[in-house]
Amino acid sequence: MKFKKVLCILTAAMMVFGATACGGGGNTDSGTGTPDAGTEDTGSAEDESAGQDADAGNEEADAGAETETDAGESAGLTGTLKVAAVETAYGADMWKDVCAAFESSHEGVTIELTVDKKLEDVITPEMKSGVYPDVILRAVGAESGLTETFVKDNNLVDLTDVLAMTVPGESVTVGDKILPGFVENSICNPYGDGKTYLMPMFYGPCGLFFDQGLFTAKGWTVPETWDEMWELGETARAEGIALFTYPTAGYFDAFFYALLHESMGNDKFQEALRYGEGIWDTPEAQTVFDIIEKLASYTESTTPANANDNDFQKNQQLILDDKALFMPNGNWVIGEMAEAPRAEGFEWGFTALPAVTAGGERASYSFFEQVWMPVGAENQDLGKEFIAFLYSDAAAEIFAKSGAVQPIQGMTDKLDGDNKLYYSIYDNGAVAVMDAFAATDAVEGVTTRATFFDPVNSLVTGDKTKEDWVNQIKTDSDALRAALKE
Amino acid sequence: MKKKRRSGFIIACTAPAVILFVIFMIIPTIDVFRMSLYKWGGYTAEKTFVGFENFKKLSQNPKFYQAFQNSVLLIVIVTLVTFCLSLVFASILSREKIKGQNFFRIVFYIPNILSVVVISAIFSAIYDPNQGLLNSVLNLFRGNKEPILWLGSQKLVIYSVAIAMVWQAVGYYMVMYMASMSNVPESLYESASLEGAGRISQFFSITLPLVWTNIRTTLTFFIISTINMSFLMVKAMTNGGPDGASNVFLSYMYQEAYTNSSYGYGMAIGVTVFVFSFALAGILNAVTRREEIEF
Repeated sequence: MKFKKVLCILTAAMMVFGATACGGGGNTDSGTGTPDAGTEDTGSAEDESAGQDADAGNEEADAGAETETDAGESAGLTGTLKVAAVETAYGADMWKDVCAAFESSHEGVTIELTVDKKLEDVITPEMKSGVYPDVILRAVGAESGLTETFVKDNNLVDLTDVLAMTVPGESVTVGDKILPGFVENSICNPYGDGKTYLMPMFYGPCGLFFDQGLFTAKGWTVPETWDEMWELGETARAEGIALFTYPTAGYFDAFFYALLHESMGNDKFQEALRYGEGIWDTPEAQTVFDIIEKLASYTESTTPANANDNDFQKNQQLILDDKALFMPNGNWVIGEMAEAPRAEGFEWGFTALPAVTAGGERASYSFFEQVWMPVGAENQDLGKEFIAFLYSDAAAEIFAKSGAVQPIQGMTDKLDGDNKLYYSIYDNGAVAVMDAFAATDAVEGVTTRATFFDPVNSLVTGDKTKEDWVNQIKTDSDALRAALKE
Repeated sequence: MKKKRRSGFIIACTAPAVILFVIFMIIPTIDVFRMSLYKWGGYTAEKTFVGFENFKKLSQNPKFYQAFQNSVLLIVIVTLVTFCLSLVFASILSREKIKGQNFFRIVFYIPNILSVVVISAIFSAIYDPNQGLLNSVLNLFRGNKEPILWLGSQKLVIYSVAIAMVWQAVGYYMVMYMASMSNVPESLYESASLEGAGRISQFFSITLPLVWTNIRTTLTFFIISTINMSFLMVKAMTNGGPDGASNVFLSYMYQEAYTNSSYGYGMAIGVTVFVFSFALAGILNAVTRREEIEF
């Protein structure tokens, strides 16, 4: 009997112990869950790049001798840097290689890398318990809103001084290397105080994609104004082809910004991004709403049924099948649809948005990802050094190998093939638009996506009128304006 | 002395379960209630106490009401249809002698084993406007008119989700009803048929009253699982779209808490859902209370 009691107590104790152990395991899991992508691989990448070690080290020393700040900073910089990057179409390898290159050029530095497609799921549990990565690569506009949350919470490290830092191993400053416009915008300066909190990384022009082969075969020309667009819409309709489709309503963000810029010019555009009072009643804004309303009437009718994260590729397929002429997208679509069947003679074509008036501005939105540091980062100096390193030629080359192009001077000259076509869009007269709606404190129940872009689905199905949409925009803009970060 | 030792032993034995329950159930639940009173982005340590402000905003938000309506609609439709279908199937499969009984049992239960992602992929294919099974079959009768947008029309989308949910749930409840139906003694049916009762009156006078306790339990399950499953289905099939037309309680909560940096507000939605489902389960339990019939 007594034995039984002891056994019971022992079992109970083991259960509690086991549960506690499980709890602890849950916490560390987030850190070690992906390291097969992280720690383990940096190890092997380190081996690979061991040969470059000496060279890089020398370069680093040279650069250090040239500039005082750099020498001062890199001299004391050792330790472990936690880097978290989202894995996108470019893959995870480039991050491993870049981290290895940084490690080999910075003695005494170890990088703990986390690369994951669902980055938030991996790093959030640790962040909730107060352990933050030092450097995070995640763009605004992601569904999780990770970056936006940090912006809204004033939880970002001021990176303005990184612009003045010399790129490790080189003699130019980071600020001089980055293409103009990429730092001076509302995404990188979310609070409008002239300080840079997010640094621009890989970018890609967004615009309208179409089948160049179909245009050649039919003898159609790519419209340069919206009036020509509507004419083409009628011609195509007569042949049973819809003028327009879109993957999901979320893709209207780039489209909307570019169209707003075309219609209202930069000053009013900036005002609109700050939800300026009465801005949506101006004739320029009304023109934008009219164009989108008309475009909705030319949209392939089944589009809203597939305009979700699950089925959006069916909408993209409409372009490949010549069932619709244009869709707004970014250059990643080519990789996304690489394996998809396509109409005979299909060839990707890409254009900026048509102009609102003949001879007027044609704009293309430049989507770019951002790298930033949370206030909770422990190794802030080392983190800044790492960010500066990301703009070095050595890093840019590694990224470019995977197709990731940074906004660095001279980078587009090094591109070839398809990439050249997309990135040269700005050389052909298109205006690059890079801003986004200004940062606000969180407004419960209001998101820019639900207010501005999702209703496009309703315009296509006829569940909402343009007036409903504009009224919603006006009401929500009032709420967002009141919550603007000053 | 012996009694004291005995109670000490009981405490020692129950302590692990109680401690686990408190740590993993009670404290998080209280935390949800506490968090609903704060404005918090979810990542920083900085939280602002705002009292009932989140609930006030919630009560003025039409999008929340839309999600609320959708959830209630799903709870009603899915519960009613699944309940009826699974009762009928259970009764047929346990009372009648039909060929391939086991085959049907497996077929009905299979959707329950499938993951929600698989189910949503299956139904996305069925609902596809151009090549989908559903539209292809319907086109036989209605000709090649404009395709019906099962997941694209704001009026239809929530029913499309409901159909997938019913399909998924029928097998599970059918097995539960079959288990209790098989406990009903055969003799009751024998005597009933001797007295001239047909199959249908046997079902209503014998089967239904005798599995009533089981039915009451499953009604609570229906509420909880519909609220949870609707989130998974919506997330995988439409992500709340088009234009928020298929948002349900939890998908809206997820959107606010995790994509709109309004964690506190999301928790306020969580509290509302908690209270609502608790109240609904309580009401259902009270309404369906009958004197227990034993056999």
